[in-house]
Amino acid sequence: MTEFHEFMVAILRSGTPLVYVTMAGVIAQRAGVWHLGLEGVMIIGACATILGIVLTGSFPAAIAIACLLCVAASVLLWFVIEKLGANPIIAGLGLTGLGIGGTALAVQAIFGSLAAVTAPFGVPRLGAAFGPYGALSIFVLMMPFVVWGMWVLLRRTRFGLRLAAAGEHPLAARSVGTSPANARLIALAAGGVLCAIGGAELAAGGLTIFAQNMTAGRGFMSFAAVIFGAAHPVGAAFAALFFSLVGVAGIRLQLLFGASIPHDVLLSLPYMATILGVWISGRMRGGAKAATEASELRDY
Amino acid sequence: MTAADPPALHCRGIRVTYGEVTALADLDIAFARGAIHAVVGQNGAGKTTFARVAAGLVRPDAGSLAIDGRALRLGRVAGARAAGVELVHQSFALPPSFTVAEALEFGAGGGIGVYSRRRLLKRCRERLAALDLDVDPRRRIRDLPVEVQQGVEIARALVTDARLLILDEPTAVLPPAGIEALFERIRSLKRHGVTVILILHKIREVMAVADTISVLRGGRLVAGPIPRERADEASVAEMIVGQAAVGPVSADDTQALVGAAPVRGVATHRVPVAASPEAGETVLQLADVNTAKDPEEPPLDRVSLLVRPGEVVGVAGVQGNSQRTLVKAIAGLADVTGGDIYLNGRRASRTSAANRRALGLRVIPFERNSEGLSLTSALWENWSVRELLQQPLFSFVDPAALRRRCDEALETWGVRYASATQNAGALSGGNAQKVILAREIDDDARLIIAAQPARGLDIGATAFVWSALREAAGRGCGVLLISSDLDELFDVSHRLVVMLSGRIVAEFVPPYDIAAVGRAMTGAST
Repeated sequence: MTEFHEFMVAILRSGTPLVYVTMAGVIAQRAGVWHLGLEGVMIIGACATILGIVLTGSFPAAIAIACLLCVAASVLLWFVIEKLGANPIIAGLGLTGLGIGGTALAVQAIFGSLAAVTAPFGVPRLGAAFGPYGALSIFVLMMPFVVWGMWVLLRRTRFGLRLAAAGEHPLAARSVGTSPANARLIALAAGGVLCAIGGAELAAGGLTIFAQNMTAGRGFMSFAAVIFGAAHPVGAAFAALFFSLVGVAGIRLQLLFGASIPHDVLLSLPYMATILGVWISGRMRGGAKAATEASELRDY
Repeated sequence: MTAADPPALHCRGIRVTYGEVTALADLDIAFARGAIHAVVGQNGAGKTTFARVAAGLVRPDAGSLAIDGRALRLGRVAGARAAGVELVHQSFALPPSFTVAEALEFGAGGGIGVYSRRRLLKRCRERLAALDLDVDPRRRIRDLPVEVQQGVEIARALVTDARLLILDEPTAVLPPAGIEALFERIRSLKRHGVTVILILHKIREVMAVADTISVLRGGRLVAGPIPRERADEASVAEMIVGQAAVGPVSADDTQALVGAAPVRGVATHRVPVAASPEAGETVLQLADVNTAKDPEEPPLDRVSLLVRPGEVVGVAGVQGNSQRTLVKAIAGLADVTGGDIYLNGRRASRTSAANRRALGLRVIPFERNSEGLSLTSALWENWSVRELLQQPLFSFVDPAALRRRCDEALETWGVRYASATQNAGALSGGNAQKVILAREIDDDARLIIAAQPARGLDIGATAFVWSALREAAGRGCGVLLISSDLDELFDVSHRLVVMLSGRIVAEFVPPYDIAAVGRAMTGAST
């Protein structure tokens, strides 16, 4: 039984950051932005949280700073796409580069070295009342509610319909008085907050450390979860948890098999699962033709 | 209306310019409440721009709008909707992945608007019932036939209790029976006190439904609103075209364009669909052609078709009945799973698209701007594709010579352009189509497939395209003309087949019976 609990704790710990960032991807996707900047915004969130704790000594202050910076980065992405007319995918990849490089630079500038930064404490824990899950952060407990909230917002409100209309058929949105550009601004800014939480959970949910490039492709994995889950909040959240399950299973297998399987192969399992997942979701939606559309939302 | 009643919509001095093009030039017009008003004009007359200004989608450079005597903030959809103005677009504005219920809901009211599925469906069923629209609210927009999509969009527009409904070319996508049903719906809206403005371009339709007629030409109001009783088809046709423009256009073409002609003949001759292969020389023969399943359109189902030299064969049908698949199959771009295709007498079912071209096949594709031309490439590049296709892969290209020959060709075809090095995207629709004609119609052409060749063109360019096709046929080319405009088909084709869900269901020869063709298009039993 403890074995099972340990397994669940490991999945939740590695999966929760993915789920938050995936939700950011879902809301952007529905508003019509293929958000490839998730990785960048997430690492800004992670870095800002750790630096915030170190510099202010307060977690609420640190998470507020992280949210602020992530929203600012997301608004920057919006500005580049909507106002400067950049290709959203290129702009998103650019933001990812900016996030990874910028956070390394910030650490270097503040601490004078590129070594990892450790914070004295992290996200508040659930505590002893939760038994074997007590060491998890409050963000893990919040996660299902956030997913449910996203589902209500996107699938059961007029707001969600308008957001989807803005993404799928901008003229339809304009015809009912919704500005597609504003809808995307709202979606990206909300996504900034979610990425901040995801980044904070990654850096300060278990260990409390920030290292260069510590997101290591998790933002892209989240994007894959968005596609795998057809931009549906619940489906995408499960896709994200599935990817982290594969990752945790890989580490377990490593313990089991020791050196007989090269450890790089096991470490690459979640990434392979991601590719497999996107391929399967493409097949499920009708082969190569539909796969290029990647979800029911059209890239207009 | 009494003199004291303010008009439902009053435009004063509306001017809209797009770059150097003036779409509306100081338009002054007022529409009375509680009537059906038609706004007619050629393409480019400013009809759609007028509709979009009234709905707040386009902000005019100058002028003012008043609804029921109250001034409206310009360029604000929310403001126009609050005043009761709704627009139904020509190519509908409903997200294809939405269900009918979602499509009705997304435009309703403000705020976050949380709903439950059950309540949403109930509300939707009530609204649909009120409009006498029979459709399952759980179906997705993309799965609905166009008439139903249009009905849903009208329902969407009425969700907010619109009092002024503008429909932009609502009949363009409908089969004849659908048009009558739409007009009935519009008359019923009028009875419920809704003012309706119909943007149309066929006089026959205007006369059938409108109370008043207004004519736009070149972004100005030429006449109107004229009560229908005081308008006659001929004079309205003349106002639409403008006397100066009538010159090069034959009277017959003018009639077809405005649709003013009475039904041409009533006798029909139904002939067997497939002719025997021995019946003389053919440039195109399809024998029981099937294609693979395709998410966009039904596959071709045992399609047999003959085109002889010098013959224009029309393909009629409501959009989406596999006309695109037919063109792709002949061009070598579709997955043909059965049957045979003969080009110029040679079996070509397995021949590549490039080699079919060598057999004399030329295609004027459906989408001028995405399939016909590369808008971001120079004119000479667009034009010389046809030669480069015939040359070995690593042959020498002489751009200067190609540019020279392109210049010659474009001048022969009367294309108005600045330089062969300008991008194709800078041309107007008519000129762009002429570039495609100049490229496709050459001495080696044996079969020309013309897919909606006159769509979106003004009267002069349309007449030009038609005469080019007739001329090619006169030189012995076969022409396959695919169109959803019956007037165009009746005017140009020697013979007409009707497509419905991937099959050829009927064949007609002149004189055409519009009612019978319409029945065949919708699958109604004859």
